[in-house]
Amino acid sequence: MEVDLQAVRRVFKDVLNGRMLREQADRWAYAVVREEETGVVTYSPPHERERIWAGVMYLYGIDTMKAPNAYLHSNDDIREAMASLGGVGDNLASTILRTLERPSLSGLATSVYEI
Amino acid sequence: MTVDDFHSSIDAAPSDVGRRPDATTERSAVVVPLRQISPTYPNQRLSPERLHQIDRVFFGPFFREKYGTGGDKALENGRIRYYGPVQRANNAGELAGRRYVHEFDTMTGCTRGWHETLDRMGNVRQVRPERHNGMMGHYQFDSNGRYKGSW
Repeated sequence: MEVDLQAVRRVFKDVLNGRMLREQADRWAYAVVREEETGVVTYSPPHERERIWAGVMYLYGIDTMKAPNAYLHSNDDIREAMASLGGVGDNLASTILRTLERPSLSGLATSVYEI
Repeated sequence: MTVDDFHSSIDAAPSDVGRRPDATTERSAVVVPLRQISPTYPNQRLSPERLHQIDRVFFGPFFREKYGTGGDKALENGRIRYYGPVQRANNAGELAGRRYVHEFDTMTGCTRGWHETLDRMGNVRQVRPERHNGMMGHYQFDSNGRYKGSW
């Protein structure tokens, strides 16, 4: 199973748009957690693993209720959690910097900084 | 019944720590350098501190990174609980949010998990276990940890 940040963000959006029930989002996340336990989940790209996992763990339990028929989280809570994940490509700058730190590509630094 | 009594009744499942679906009995040797810790003897009762020490050396990469970003606690009974971050609820009255708790039994290798809802004082007010039969329920407790009821 491969999970990427876009897929996680899509589930958040679907919940907020009403295209997916919170219970379905919870089960989707639970399936990822189960797969992770058996070690068959790959994260794409791998350096986003932490953000992707944080999103999955938010979605797991998103249907928790504070009372019968009353969800614990408001849509604003969910929107806030989705925003904290950041967008796809938000880490582009850090990816470029990481690439530039590699000695073999140090020559690239000049050209990138000149852009 | 208290919150702690309730926790002990939650289902546990065998853990797949470090196991891969393609694992076979004969595997290519990979040398993993282990940190040195003093040996444990068969009849030795493990203190929570000792359990913590063993956990940090052997299980940390599997559980703490995934489930324990909010902290972890070694229990007297050989179990370790890993706490996820509290996911805030901004409009839930006295309830502050929820967190996922993952428990690993170092004696049996079984794991189990549940979602806890906390009040603003940090008390566990609700527990939602992950049952392996697919049934789920919310179990409520008062601010003193006494069981109130479920739905």
